Amino acid sequence: MKTPILGAFGPPAKNGNERILGPMQQISPRTRQFAENDAVDYAVVGIGSAGGVLLQRLAKAGFRVVGLEAGPFWDTERDWVSDENGSHKLYWNDLRITGGEDPLAFGENNSGKGVGGGSVHWAAFTPRFHPSDFRVYSQDGVGADWPLSYEELLPYYELLEREMPVAGPAYFPWGRPHGYPFGPHPLGGVGNVLVEGCTKLGIGVVAGGPVAILSGSRGKRPHCIYRGFCIQGCKVGAKASTLITHVPEAVEYGAEIRDRSMVFRISMQDRRRVNGVHYYDEHGKEHFQRAKAVIVSGYAIETPRLLLNSACPGHEHGLANSSDTVGRYLMAQAGNVILGRFDNLIRMYKAPPAHALSEDFYETDPKRGFARGFAIQTVGPLPIAFAKQMMKAKGAWGWGMRRVMMDYNHWAALGLLGEILPWADNRVQLAEEKDQFGIPVARVTFSLHDNDKKMIEFGKRTVMEVMRAAGAEEVVQESRYAHLVGAARMGTDPSSSVVDKYGRTHDVNNLFVCDGSILPTQGSANPGLTIQSLAARTADYLISQGEKIWTSEERDMTTPPIRHNLAVKDTFTTGVPRLWK
Amino acid sequence: MIKTKETAENWVRDAETGNPISPKQQPGYYPGYSTLGQRKFWDEATRRTVEDRVYNVPKIRFFNEIELLTMTAVADRILPQDDRLPEFRIPIVNYIDERLYEDKIHGYRFENMPPDRDAYQLALQAIDDMARDLHSKPFVDLEPMQQDRLLKSLHDGKPLAEHDFWKKMSVERLWHMLVQDCVNAYYAHPWAWDEIGYGGPAYPRAYTRLENGQPEPWEVDEQRYEWEAPPNSLSDHFEPMPSDHQSVSGQGGTH
Repeated sequence: MKTPILGAFGPPAKNGNERILGPMQQISPRTRQFAENDAVDYAVVGIGSAGGVLLQRLAKAGFRVVGLEAGPFWDTERDWVSDENGSHKLYWNDLRITGGEDPLAFGENNSGKGVGGGSVHWAAFTPRFHPSDFRVYSQDGVGADWPLSYEELLPYYELLEREMPVAGPAYFPWGRPHGYPFGPHPLGGVGNVLVEGCTKLGIGVVAGGPVAILSGSRGKRPHCIYRGFCIQGCKVGAKASTLITHVPEAVEYGAEIRDRSMVFRISMQDRRRVNGVHYYDEHGKEHFQRAKAVIVSGYAIETPRLLLNSACPGHEHGLANSSDTVGRYLMAQAGNVILGRFDNLIRMYKAPPAHALSEDFYETDPKRGFARGFAIQTVGPLPIAFAKQMMKAKGAWGWGMRRVMMDYNHWAALGLLGEILPWADNRVQLAEEKDQFGIPVARVTFSLHDNDKKMIEFGKRTVMEVMRAAGAEEVVQESRYAHLVGAARMGTDPSSSVVDKYGRTHDVNNLFVCDGSILPTQGSANPGLTIQSLAARTADYLISQGEKIWTSEERDMTTPPIRHNLAVKDTFTTGVPRLWK
Repeated sequence: MIKTKETAENWVRDAETGNPISPKQQPGYYPGYSTLGQRKFWDEATRRTVEDRVYNVPKIRFFNEIELLTMTAVADRILPQDDRLPEFRIPIVNYIDERLYEDKIHGYRFENMPPDRDAYQLALQAIDDMARDLHSKPFVDLEPMQQDRLLKSLHDGKPLAEHDFWKKMSVERLWHMLVQDCVNAYYAHPWAWDEIGYGGPAYPRAYTRLENGQPEPWEVDEQRYEWEAPPNSLSDHFEPMPSDHQSVSGQGGTH
């Protein structure tokens, strides 16, 4: 083909691809502004899904904030590649020890390192949790209840769905039915398979989202080009990550981001108050940033690791751990991949991996013999990921591996996303081993319990039926896990939870946790939207509380008003123009 | 890359005639397809990354001479390339060596495994010792079928020769690491993409034909031929790993 779709190709211009995708603007992160002994209002540890939103909100509201991020500040055009193997640097690849009966694999795609964190490499599925997720214990007698209701989070779901924004069907039938602000994406081959299989079996399915990928250009960002590299970092800028949705505005409003800065200890002023964070810069030099309050947003492994590593007199078992809950109730979702071979070609590398799903099996059904449920979603493994799936699902190696890989274009992959319940013995502890800075690494123990195993068996059988109904002649499956949440859960009872419903630790007045680790249960929904919504809500709380966070012993639990004016630019329009009398 | 025996014995067969198919520049069902031929439509960072795999292969720095011989022989069986012309074989061991030299890990270590570097050194020693126990020869000098039988015993989690080495690690985990490191190198190479008909990078140019497996204007349609693995091999069979709840790799390619 000589003429490209989006404009004339020459050799790529030195400063980007402006002739193809429109202008790419350069934003220079501000150089260091705050002195280390200058107590900033908030130090945010980890600038990922939650940290990015917090930093943007707090800066826009006028607070003096510093974000400390262990990984780099990405220059997306130079640092990222449209390549599977070239994208490992996006992941948290530092050592973690993993054990238990069903040990979790880490690295690839379950935690990020670098500004934007996991939102850089998420597939960007953004379903909401269901109302039932907030009262799992009351309703099903398992897991835990949340200290807030669906209704309390709802305005933030609606807000973040517009901020990212989320593309999806105009009517989403599950949970509390709703529609999405951006139109659904066209279906790729895997989406066709899911829709066809579900339809044949009478299972409800939606197509084209919900996914935080632009189906039309908005503001500064172009629409999706369907190149399929979502989880390798979206060079296009169509997929939402806090790196492009919230961080630029945080910087514009004066937040300071220190990248390649690994926080290793939170410092206590006295038994009830923190006064800053200790961190190593990229050269291994130690620093201390003074802060009036600290928010930990390091995700479900690094957050408990930091709290445990911050043990000190008065907090011998780790900060905010009087309940012995820090590190416990870690959850991953069952992420079994069901693979089907079709006679016709699928070419599953095209289109976003995330673009169709079913939540028909989300809620508890007593007939199934287990509590809670699962979702079925499209996934789109690129060749290397697919080869690894074939290694397990078919035991492929040698000539068999070469043979099945030659059929790559004939295969489609669907993902089970199943709710594994929170268990106290699934936990993060500290290991003997140290990382490159000499900080003890996390030891993670993970085992499935009876309910989890029943759910996985039922779930994978169901997805395999869907695959067969869609016309697959051969169907195999591989066990794996997706997402990490829990390990610093929120709750009303300080003896069984780490933080309250705004993310404030029960034990330390000016220490907050805000990320996936505060989730008491995880539903069968990808956690990204919920994490960002909780972050926006915590920010509204902090803004409403003002100085009381730094000075008062009182805990005011009043619900803050939602601040739509702090949403990122281009979130709201004035509506369809019409002339009227 | 160490020279392997270029005999028709090692070649794949035409499934109808049973005749050996002589090695090709590009095996697979997409003759004439070239992802690299599209490189001028890629962004600069991606182009550099992919071109390096063809023109700038890292030198061996981690493995010693004996380890290198064994590792090469193992990789030649885990991903045999006898159907490729020697000058179009994809380097695998160089990338495993690079990973170990730079001590690049994937973000975790199973508690029943030693660090990756130690695991490789122990395993290569163990594989060679097994070969000597069974056949009184180093692994590299075994017949392909003997090599496959030995490796298949690791695949099955039941090493043919009992050895103390295998008490220091999980055989299953080790096998997964070996296979994963091999496919990481092979299927990262643009020649492998051509072989399997994978579209490769598409930024800033888009994919535009999403449905029904249609090729883009620069992709080609499939032209299948039926082939059989060489008779002196064991690996063209599929035996799923036990259906347990174990995850063997990270979440690449999933939700």
